[in-house]
Amino acid sequence: MKMGSNRRLANVKTRREVGLDYVMQTIDLNTPFGKKQLKEIKPFYPGQEDELNAELDRVERMVSFVKEYATVTEQIQEIFMEVKDVTYSIQRAEQQTLSVVEIYEIKSLLLSMRRLCQIIQKDETPLVPAEYVPADTMDLLDVLDPRKDRINTFYIYDEFSDEIRALRGQKREYEIAIRREQKARRDEIKQKYGIMLTPKFDIAVSKSHADFEKISSIEELELVDQDYMSATFQLKADGAVYDYMKQMDELNVKLEEEEERIRRKISLEIFKHEAVLISNCEKMGALDLALGKALFAVSRDCTRPQIAAEHVVEIEDGRNIQVEDILKSKGKTYCPVSIALKDGVTCITGANMGGKTISLKLSGQVAILTQYGFFVPAKKARVGLSNYMQILIGDSQSVERGLSSFGSEMEELKIMLDNSVERTLLLIDEIASGTNPVEGLALTKSLVDYLIQKPYISLITTHFETVTEKEGVVNMQVRGLADVNFTLLNREIQYAKRSERINIISKYMDYRLYRVEKQGQVPKDALNIAKMLGISSEIIEGAQKYIK
Amino acid sequence: MGLLYDLQEKYKTISIVGMAKNAGKTTALNYLIEEAMDECIRLGITSIGRDGETQDLVTGTDKPRIYLEKDTIVTVPTQLYDMADAGLEILKKTKYSTPMGDLLICRVADSGYVQIAGPPAAMDTKKVCAEMLGYGCELILIDGAIDRKAIASPETSDAIILSTGAVLSRSLRKVVDETAHIVNLYSIPEMEEGAARTLIEENNFDDRIMLIDKDGTVTKLDLATGLGSSRFIDSEIDESTEYVYIPGAFTNSVIADINPKKLKRITFILKNPTKIFLSAMDWGLWRKKGMRINVLKNIEIAAITVNPWAPAGYTFDREALVSAMKEAIPGMPIIDVRV
Repeated sequence: MKMGSNRRLANVKTRREVGLDYVMQTIDLNTPFGKKQLKEIKPFYPGQEDELNAELDRVERMVSFVKEYATVTEQIQEIFMEVKDVTYSIQRAEQQTLSVVEIYEIKSLLLSMRRLCQIIQKDETPLVPAEYVPADTMDLLDVLDPRKDRINTFYIYDEFSDEIRALRGQKREYEIAIRREQKARRDEIKQKYGIMLTPKFDIAVSKSHADFEKISSIEELELVDQDYMSATFQLKADGAVYDYMKQMDELNVKLEEEEERIRRKISLEIFKHEAVLISNCEKMGALDLALGKALFAVSRDCTRPQIAAEHVVEIEDGRNIQVEDILKSKGKTYCPVSIALKDGVTCITGANMGGKTISLKLSGQVAILTQYGFFVPAKKARVGLSNYMQILIGDSQSVERGLSSFGSEMEELKIMLDNSVERTLLLIDEIASGTNPVEGLALTKSLVDYLIQKPYISLITTHFETVTEKEGVVNMQVRGLADVNFTLLNREIQYAKRSERINIISKYMDYRLYRVEKQGQVPKDALNIAKMLGISSEIIEGAQKYIK
Repeated sequence: MGLLYDLQEKYKTISIVGMAKNAGKTTALNYLIEEAMDECIRLGITSIGRDGETQDLVTGTDKPRIYLEKDTIVTVPTQLYDMADAGLEILKKTKYSTPMGDLLICRVADSGYVQIAGPPAAMDTKKVCAEMLGYGCELILIDGAIDRKAIASPETSDAIILSTGAVLSRSLRKVVDETAHIVNLYSIPEMEEGAARTLIEENNFDDRIMLIDKDGTVTKLDLATGLGSSRFIDSEIDESTEYVYIPGAFTNSVIADINPKKLKRITFILKNPTKIFLSAMDWGLWRKKGMRINVLKNIEIAAITVNPWAPAGYTFDREALVSAMKEAIPGMPIIDVRV
């Protein structure tokens, strides 16, 4: 097992199969910082129970926060939606001068932080855990907002320096002076030649026009554009206007320099606050993530798992979220399942279509969500932390890779056994079902013999009933169709459409798990189900003959 | 008061639409901006795509930059912000991204030249306009750079200013005729409020051709496009069919095979006039045969600007062009933008 920063609780496939990936995708985050933190989220390992409890405390506080302050929650999310990641700009502010757009974005961020602080604190006391409250950055905001109007706009305002105010005033005066000068000359031309120039101080005339010759001979005008039919003349700039224009150019250079100087000054001021800005961003990300976790817990009716010192996974009325979401979208409800696991081997046996695999995944889901600091989809749960988790389950990917299902299964089993350490959670779905039953059974039995003496929680779904006969193996059984009134079920099936049959069977199915104390008969529902799904009686009866 | 004042009384957003590339759209925009300055109207300027480059990207002809007065509201992408000669106060960074960076909404703090650009998608233009109006401008002018059909769709703006000019044809008559044809199309009557209109609006979610009967039954045709579909439409039209709704392009191939008797009985309903792709001649022909068209939404033309100058080097006599245009389209303000 890898230790240190590369340490891994579960591989990619396990995280996907038990539904951790699904939960992470479901969580709705709004800030780039929160999204980054969720991506880099690390699980808690045995020995870190106190840290995990502290995290669960925070989630619990956030859960009661979102329940109590629904409007504030919405306001926070609105603020978060506007937040952009400007850490790169903040970091480069020392070396380089930031552009106006960058400064605007940092000002926006500061205003977001200020607004956030205002709404998550009531009379100076924070409504959320104190570690999520951004530190005060008012002094930097004052630098970026010299007018103190706290509006989300930015420009190198005249208030930034007396110099810039003076330069801009001067520029405006020149502009007016040039215009005044040109207007005067336009009036002069009007009086002298009776010709009115446009507000742009030009005139377009057709060459066939009677006045064309007269206009083209006016020396105050210059020809700027012409074709064979018409010509455009413009007012020539004279000495006074040239002077103004030259001074304007010089002024523009000075203006640019002054703006650059102001931006440099602001950039350095921003860089001075680098540490607090970055840490505030992280706090906002953490609040975003905590809010996401809490909203997830509320919307999926999750509870806080109890952290046990010993290595156990106990679930009361647990629900596999992924499956529940699918059922909900079809308007059906999930039948909750309870299970208690401790070191040793537990087998889930029972009817086909009885939800064995879903219950296997559920056990993994509750365990892994707990270790990542989430609330869990159960009425009650008690979890002892694991060092390692892996699921062994057939998937389509091994077929795509060109391996036979048995080959890839054995490959994964080797990795699984090699990586397992003390406090490991192993979830094994119908191992060796892809080979002949004689060897398959032998392999499964031997695996159980091996696992039962290890300090692992091993949960195995299987159809090999003799596996459960081994001393010490806990046998959980799906009740399945055991208590069903078959006359009723058959009648309903008979008149149903073919596509409806599976749904009817699942309606009658009891997914709950029961502990089997005394070794008895494993329910044989396979033929029943095959029959109900319309396999011909010739085959069903033939099969029954072989069982006898 | 001037033209802009009248427009500003009636509309909030106006698109400047060119009949063709180089019809003088940018010249028209500059002219209108100057008018607005003189009339003290606080303008908002945006565009579909980038505009205001010194050179037209498609044909390489000169394009004047746009000079904006203080307090104009304008949309500028991040990368063009620093290139602006005017002083721009950033009011908002929008979520619309352009190839030149995210789009900013700015207020001109110091007058000067600006290269403007707007959101690339026409549907976003309307949202941006709403935000700009929120910042206090009285009239928004939208300049289209590439997709003229998109900007002309009525969802984008309250009305359009149509820019036409010598670039269309070397024949002055043809320029006037084509412009008049477009004005004609855009003023097709809107379908009256009533049961049939409600039926079309309610059922028009999957963009299918629909036939509405007098008794209110709706028949949807399972065709991907109306193009080449006229025999199918023809076979579906019966005694009681009143309206035929065509969601897509309305071309010759949509009506070619429809029985002339049936054609006289029914009314075609289109989304808006930009869906019509019929030449002036075909249009006249079909009208004579009794074709009737209504639209769900038509396009208001607020004014027409004419440019007597073509980049290919020829020019029309400006007075002749304006007066011919005025005669062909009575009651419409015609502006020569190069005077």
